[in-house]
Amino acid sequence: MKISLNWLAKYIDLPDSVTELEKLLTFAGIEVEGVKHIPALQESVFSARIVSAEADPKSDHLHCCKVDIGDYPYNDKTEDGLVQVICGAPNCHAGMMALIAMPGTVLPEFTIAKAKIRGVESHGMLCSEKELGISDNHAGIIELPEDTAIGLMANELYELPDTIFELEITPNRPDLLGYIGIARDLSAKLNIALRLPVIQIPEPKFPAGELPLTLVNEDTELCPRYTARLFRNVHITQSPLWLKRALIKSGLRPINNLVDITNFVLLEYGHPLHAFDYDKLAPLPSGDTHPAIVIRKAIAKEPIMALDGKSYNLDGDELVIADGEKASALAGVMGGNLSAISDSTTRIVLESAAFHPGSVRKTSYKHKISTDSSYRFERHLSDHATTNASLRATQLICELAQAELCEAVYDDWQKPTVALVLGIRPARYEQVIGYYLDGDTIKDYLEKLGLRFIQYGNWKPGAISDISEVYCHHGEEIKQGLTEFSEQPDCIHTLYFEIPTSRVDLEREIDLIEELARLDGYDKVPVKTLPGRIMDRHAYKTMRQITDYIVSRGCFETLNYSFTDPDTMAKLGFQESDPEMQMIRLRNPQSGTMSVMRTSLIPQLLQNLVYNLNRGERNVKLFELGKTYFKIAGKHSEPMHLSAIFTGLNREENWQDKSIQLGATTLKGILDELFLLLGVHNCACAPANRPFLNKQENASYTVYKQEVGYFGKLSATVAESFGIDLIELKQDLWILHLDVDNIVEITRNRKMKFSPIPRYPAVTRDISFLIADNVGYSEIEACVKGVDCSLIEEVKVFDEYRGKQIPAGHRSLSIHVKFQDTEKTLTDERIDHLVDLVKTKLTETWQINLR
Amino acid sequence: MREQLNELVRQAESDILACQNPNDVMNVKAQYLGKKSLLNGLFARLRELPPEERPAFGNQINESRNRIEALLEAQSTKVKEAAWNTREGGKATDMSMPGITSSRGGFHPLTIIRREIDDVFLSMGFEIAEGPDIEDDFHNFDALNTPADHPSRNLADTFYLEDGSLLRSQTSTVQIRVMESYPPPIRIISPGRCYRNDKPDPSHSPVFHQVEALVVDKGISLADMTDTLSQFASIMFGANVGSRIRPHFFPFTEPSAEMDISCVVCGGAGCRVCKHSGWLEMGGAGMVDPNVFKTLGIDSEIYTGFAFGLGIERIAMLKYNIPDMRILFENDLRMLRQFKGESR
Ligand SMILES: [Zn+2]
Repeated sequence: MKISLNWLAKYIDLPDSVTELEKLLTFAGIEVEGVKHIPALQESVFSARIVSAEADPKSDHLHCCKVDIGDYPYNDKTEDGLVQVICGAPNCHAGMMALIAMPGTVLPEFTIAKAKIRGVESHGMLCSEKELGISDNHAGIIELPEDTAIGLMANELYELPDTIFELEITPNRPDLLGYIGIARDLSAKLNIALRLPVIQIPEPKFPAGELPLTLVNEDTELCPRYTARLFRNVHITQSPLWLKRALIKSGLRPINNLVDITNFVLLEYGHPLHAFDYDKLAPLPSGDTHPAIVIRKAIAKEPIMALDGKSYNLDGDELVIADGEKASALAGVMGGNLSAISDSTTRIVLESAAFHPGSVRKTSYKHKISTDSSYRFERHLSDHATTNASLRATQLICELAQAELCEAVYDDWQKPTVALVLGIRPARYEQVIGYYLDGDTIKDYLEKLGLRFIQYGNWKPGAISDISEVYCHHGEEIKQGLTEFSEQPDCIHTLYFEIPTSRVDLEREIDLIEELARLDGYDKVPVKTLPGRIMDRHAYKTMRQITDYIVSRGCFETLNYSFTDPDTMAKLGFQESDPEMQMIRLRNPQSGTMSVMRTSLIPQLLQNLVYNLNRGERNVKLFELGKTYFKIAGKHSEPMHLSAIFTGLNREENWQDKSIQLGATTLKGILDELFLLLGVHNCACAPANRPFLNKQENASYTVYKQEVGYFGKLSATVAESFGIDLIELKQDLWILHLDVDNIVEITRNRKMKFSPIPRYPAVTRDISFLIADNVGYSEIEACVKGVDCSLIEEVKVFDEYRGKQIPAGHRSLSIHVKFQDTEKTLTDERIDHLVDLVKTKLTETWQINLR
Repeated sequence: MREQLNELVRQAESDILACQNPNDVMNVKAQYLGKKSLLNGLFARLRELPPEERPAFGNQINESRNRIEALLEAQSTKVKEAAWNTREGGKATDMSMPGITSSRGGFHPLTIIRREIDDVFLSMGFEIAEGPDIEDDFHNFDALNTPADHPSRNLADTFYLEDGSLLRSQTSTVQIRVMESYPPPIRIISPGRCYRNDKPDPSHSPVFHQVEALVVDKGISLADMTDTLSQFASIMFGANVGSRIRPHFFPFTEPSAEMDISCVVCGGAGCRVCKHSGWLEMGGAGMVDPNVFKTLGIDSEIYTGFAFGLGIERIAMLKYNIPDMRILFENDLRMLRQFKGESR
């Protein structure tokens, strides 16, 4: 539903800021789907009269117009004080009042300049609604009412600037399908007054007998109420500008004053109306000769020509409004052509009725007709709402169509809907919503919504049929009690309200609670717990991820005591000055071998290894995730470490492939893959510098100068000091270490981001070459990537060969180079060219021999 | 001519079935369906027949052609499949040879239990809180309402460090630290290492693992505690495992309780493990003592809470039928390998 804020502001004071209002509506449960600003226009856009409009003989649509712009100052007026404007609109004609934009005007989409069109000068432009930004209508230029004065600014005429909200109304709230409904909800939300239109209808001018009507309602279930008022001397003309612009801004097209009035009331009150031409209604076949209105089910195969110009064949289930002979409207959905208001209509019947929502929905669905009327009736409109809608339209018809009202009011209303009476307990509100709302606040909100407060009383569930049942002699005392905290929802503290029949959604106490929570604002609901405030979920998840991966690579987890033998640290080769040697001592250790807090997990892992080697194990992969304990500058710290020890075969032996002894590449692969999984990027590698590692084969990984891990071969001396003779064992021992705390911090703010899947295929080419041993592979990879970072996606070595035919001090390397262009398919020529570039670069850098 | 056609089809059938490879199939196809094939020749001779017989015979030729095509298609599929299966190196495997597995390792049983406990409580909306192993008297004793002369403060019970700090004897220290830093509501478990000066034996270890739970909020009652415990017991040990609490004394809680679960070995009938009681002791529990709240500045008139502690070693030993706690710290691969399948 489109609403103009300028129109809405007639019923309620709106907040100054549009965003504020948007937020308010959203939090009141009315979603603002779209916001369109109609900017103010300059003073150079104003009303003017087209004095003459001569068709251009050389064009099929252009008119050369002489336009009276009154005393608007302009230098290029013609001798008779007019301006010449070329206009291409089909509705342009002499005598018409239009809106002109003078040269220099900046319109929403373009700027007006003095121009020559087919050699004829044009001073300004006659504008359509679209050109002014008021609507999408571009069928012709704006035609203002004939009595509009010349020189009135478009801003005044169209109430600009304005903002149009496109609102999404949930199906349970038919009461919001009109401006007044929205305004009422806002008045409750903002706690400010609502300004309802003052309806004053003129005295009837003539008795019923002068315009007799036979009204027969055959189906009071599908049509619980039908009211009709009659008018004569109706003048069908254009609507006044205020009415037109109201409809235009809400997205409706003005037609004539009568149709426009019914549409206006539909938008204002949310209740659809219909008008019939009295003189086109046939009398009943038998009986008097009065025009008749019969509300009945359609007859099978009965045809109706609807206002959309289409003919529909009814199947008998539809409710129709018929005259004495034939169906003249699909009740609540669409009027018929035969009884439609035309320019010559002078006497009308104004219908304001309530229809069964299911019946309207069925008819609308079956014949695929959806109208502003059916949309509303489908959602259940109150039978009580017909009264005001009819009165408001009557007032406007008498005023704008100079019509005379008939004394007779037809109102077929067998069983008026009885308003529900519901109770609400503030304590129950607290129980459901989680905070207390006192009785006065509840009263305030609900009364603003149109509910009528009846009294305080004791609690009785369900709708109340007899209010005396909940009558309470101590009303004032209860009221007092209501402002106090109460934890007993079943106590007598209850407020009773009569629910307006338009609020079909309010049927139980819980509905009222929902209303109150909505109006008071869901932001008032207290936050009970602050999830995640205590737990470091990232650290927890990261540690699980790391250990899951280490286990997947064949390691078994060990758990060792937190205290250990101080000698073992010395055995690792640490110096007295190293922090690892500043071990915290226990005052009451159980033994010397459990006398200090550990500063490394490695000694105990070595002991675990010895234990298992002694029991015949040869392929051992063990790790521990655990705390180490330091005291630095008087403060304790407990860094989390993960250390692992590896020896033996790369993986379990099997009958198919021969396993090999694990080595540096195994360990490097573990670290590389783990860091990839964790999102630890940009690692720098350097020697690990640990006293217990072999001096050649080791590497330390750092990110931003923080070490995240290292690995290396254990020195034979250290192994021996733990009782392992490597020569006898014939296996290397490998240590892998992760600084868990650093990894956790480095990855803390990592966010996975999806990158679009390439639309064009990648191409891989292989390059093989001989290169001196002193060139590291990482240099080669960086060099190749450097050729074109945007196109070379991956460089991967897939073969290394030394031996026959390879000169000493050299090796043969083979690499895959993967090319990917995200913009287009890579042609063979382009790839060939890139491969050449790579080869040239490699040759230039290291004198390689391509193979 | 009809005779000729029938003979042709019979010949085609046998030729097609004789095809051994995709090439043969191609050749036979050319021979029977190609431009100069006998079948096309018969078509050309159609006008030798009386006009009224032509349509019927024309149909017959078409049907024969369709039949030959279908046979060719089927044979083509068959020889392609055979060609792929009998290619060099395409020998069928002895299906009884063992499959090649990856060499996954495994977690320590205490980690397995700890993760299981974590998951149970995380799913119940708890957070996991951790704290230091090296503690002070305040967090380990004073704040927990432990009297100054309580025996647990002895050197014989608690490990002290040379600088006067101590190794926590329970993870309740973490609960104190959380309550110091965060206002209620609080729902945490604090798993971690604890230390007591017990000589290693089948049921003791100087280093062991505990998980404690703490809930502080408005309206928390003993009933909430028993509910949490029974949920935990049934998720951890099985739906039919019951739980109960018995009155006990701890300085930290008031009222205090020991909690038991029905014996996971005998199901409550009585056995050696449960000393014929049908119940197994799981740990201490109770409502947080108002004194503890007072020390931490929490209004015990508004907030109530419960706490309980569980021994992870004990749960592991019960669940996996491990007879001696020392086994858990030997890190023998023959023990560790058994838990590969439990490592989740
Ligand atoms: Zn038992």
